[in-house]
Amino acid sequence: MEALLEYAYVVVLLPLISAAAIAAFGKQLPWKGAELGIAALGIGWLMSVGIAWQTFMNSPMEPVEEFFRWSPLGGGFVFELGMLVDGLTAMMLLLVTTVSLMVHIYSREYMKGEVRFTYFYAMLSLFTFSMLVLVIANNLLQAVIGWELVGLCSFLLIGFYWEEKSNQDAANKAFLTTKFGDVGLIVGVIVLSAGMFGLTDTPFNIIEINQAATDGLLSTSTIVLGMLLIFLGCISKSGQMPLHVWLPDAMAGPTPVSALIHAATMVTAGVFLLARLFPVLAQSALVMGVIAIVGVITLFFGGLLALVQDDLKKILAYSTISQLGYMVAAIGVGGYTASIFHLFTHGFFKALLFLGAGSLIHAVHSNNISDMGGMRKAMPHTFWTFIIGSLALAGFPLTAGFFSKDEILIAGEIWAGGGFLTGNLVYWIGLAAAGVTTFYMARACFLVFAGENRSHHPPHESGKQMVGPLMLLAVLSVASGYLLSPFSPDQPNFETWTQTPILDGDAVYPFTVDETVAFGVQGDGVIASSGSVLAAEAGDGPVSVLHGVPSWHPDLLAIVLVIFSLAVFLAWRFYGKGLPEKDPMLQMGPVTRALVAKYGFDDFGYRYIVVPVRDVLSRWATTSSNTYIDGAVAGVGKATKSAAMATYRTIDQKVIDGAVNGSALSAAWWSDRLKRIQSGDVQRYAGAIVAGVIVLVLAFAAAR
Amino acid sequence: MSLIGPLLLATFLFCVGIYGIIARRNAVLVLMSVELMLNAVNINLVAFQNVLFPGEEAVSGLMFALFIIGVAAAEVGVGLAIVFNMFRNRATVNVDDVDLMRW
Repeated sequence: MEALLEYAYVVVLLPLISAAAIAAFGKQLPWKGAELGIAALGIGWLMSVGIAWQTFMNSPMEPVEEFFRWSPLGGGFVFELGMLVDGLTAMMLLLVTTVSLMVHIYSREYMKGEVRFTYFYAMLSLFTFSMLVLVIANNLLQAVIGWELVGLCSFLLIGFYWEEKSNQDAANKAFLTTKFGDVGLIVGVIVLSAGMFGLTDTPFNIIEINQAATDGLLSTSTIVLGMLLIFLGCISKSGQMPLHVWLPDAMAGPTPVSALIHAATMVTAGVFLLARLFPVLAQSALVMGVIAIVGVITLFFGGLLALVQDDLKKILAYSTISQLGYMVAAIGVGGYTASIFHLFTHGFFKALLFLGAGSLIHAVHSNNISDMGGMRKAMPHTFWTFIIGSLALAGFPLTAGFFSKDEILIAGEIWAGGGFLTGNLVYWIGLAAAGVTTFYMARACFLVFAGENRSHHPPHESGKQMVGPLMLLAVLSVASGYLLSPFSPDQPNFETWTQTPILDGDAVYPFTVDETVAFGVQGDGVIASSGSVLAAEAGDGPVSVLHGVPSWHPDLLAIVLVIFSLAVFLAWRFYGKGLPEKDPMLQMGPVTRALVAKYGFDDFGYRYIVVPVRDVLSRWATTSSNTYIDGAVAGVGKATKSAAMATYRTIDQKVIDGAVNGSALSAAWWSDRLKRIQSGDVQRYAGAIVAGVIVLVLAFAAAR
Repeated sequence: MSLIGPLLLATFLFCVGIYGIIARRNAVLVLMSVELMLNAVNINLVAFQNVLFPGEEAVSGLMFALFIIGVAAAEVGVGLAIVFNMFRNRATVNVDDVDLMRW
């Protein structure tokens, strides 16, 4: 079993092999390539389970690192290609392979008869490979490679039905929006590695960066600038405001893709990277404050947007944005474990919800909840699993979502206890947003499952290949929460599993220990002022990084239950009897207008970014390109051509051809003369021999 | 025994042979001239054997002479065969007419 960790890279390579194999000869196979993807993911999943078991039971454990090194510039600057297997990696491997395997199985029925079925499977496998490259990376450059690859796969799969212009636009929007953040990411990585330069030969190595930051070897400006730029990448990839605009549009892709990429795995890449670099960002109160505030804004306002949506997938998309906001906010208030615990459980129940939504959409051929209704009788399995997923998402007690979301709220409380205002924000706004979440999920559930059937198709339950993954994910949506709950006080638990040696039980946030360290650079206005805002009551003592196993919080439980009941009751009042004539969510005046307009982000982006870029910048760029650059290129081309002609006429034609022809002619002339020696007359040869002998004899005689 | 007589004889035969090879146009006569030259060498070998190692066990000079006689016989066999073929194909044995190996 020990050896399994050394072979973790096989889990990464299997989907790549299957993607290539599906692309090469998937169409000739009886299942059109699906079997290859399912088989590769199945083996990868089994290995991931083994790796997770191994790391979990031995936790906390030292990371296993394996790499190739390449130093093109000689010593002092080494690129790496490698893997870093610790509890965090094992957790992500398990999550990605589980959801991916479920989606692979599910898609065989969901995508049956679709155009480009084989292509779809190849892309799914390729995406899984990309995500695993990111997850297993031991250095930031490799993480960036995986990051860009998942962006590419996301683009390809959002635009899967590329015959429709709107889907192409959605794919472009997703790609360009995330690309904007990716620029920040790569600049941030360069900033961090520049700070590491000279400290080590491998400036991109994640463990070494974390260690150096913890040891205080990186300057404050390096950490702040680098982490804020990397966080920009996370904002775009993990759908944080204001770069969340691509995620709802990404629902243009097939539903299994939404489940795999735009809910459970890819969008968590940003949170994962923040968790990976947590020891670095934990050095700066400013960075954590920014992260927390962006997360809080996203978790609340992203959730509100789901209230007015009619498209079931868009409701889930906005709820994904909101939940990602929770994760990011948790990182910002020091809830390292809480954040990735929520990432873990959210992956399961959000995949479950999306696959359940896919099952519904498959049955009624519409995405809109106003076209559904009364599905409870027709689709009992989908109904029950969807309800379990919704309860987990709403944080109903004893589901996985409850434990993980409460972890985040408790992290906020602890942070507030450390004297940071953002902790209070996360706690109270997180609670309010939980109510919003409950309400919109209850709205969706009532409209979909209660009342009369409003669809034009008689609904039918989906087949085994779709229901099976739903059931398994439903089980995980409940069971995964017990990895870190008051029911599991003993080690190992989720916290020991995912902690790294740097973040052991004694680790504290440096800026909570000593104000001079925290707001270290005296006279640095930005740092100092932010410190005074964020740490209004700083100095209450150090805050530890790991919070330990949570105990019961009866007060929190009570509040959660009250909010839950209230939200469900309201939803039942409005929607319990089917779709009301006037949806109260659409009757709230300016609030509704703001929500329907998505706060104007899309409009603003279209009017002030897309249009200027398209009509002014790109046109200007085209003109300047056509006149100046093309002119220069054409000039260079012409000059080169005339120079070449001159060279041809003088050097090639005269000198080189002359030399070649001359040598040939002289050879011909000489051979014409010399060939006459070869007369064919035997006696002349004999005479020549005799003459030669006589000459030799005379010569030797004279030499004596 | 004096060497002068045999050596003079051998020299004479050799010169006759060389002259025959260069001057004669008949291929058969050219072959015969070659035989004359080989025999001149044989005379040399036998004469030197007798002068240098009279009555001894070592007979390498004689053995060489015997070898040369054998090889000469074979050579004449091949040579005459070539001449026959030449005659058949061209109805001539004049070596001047046979210059196929020319440029």
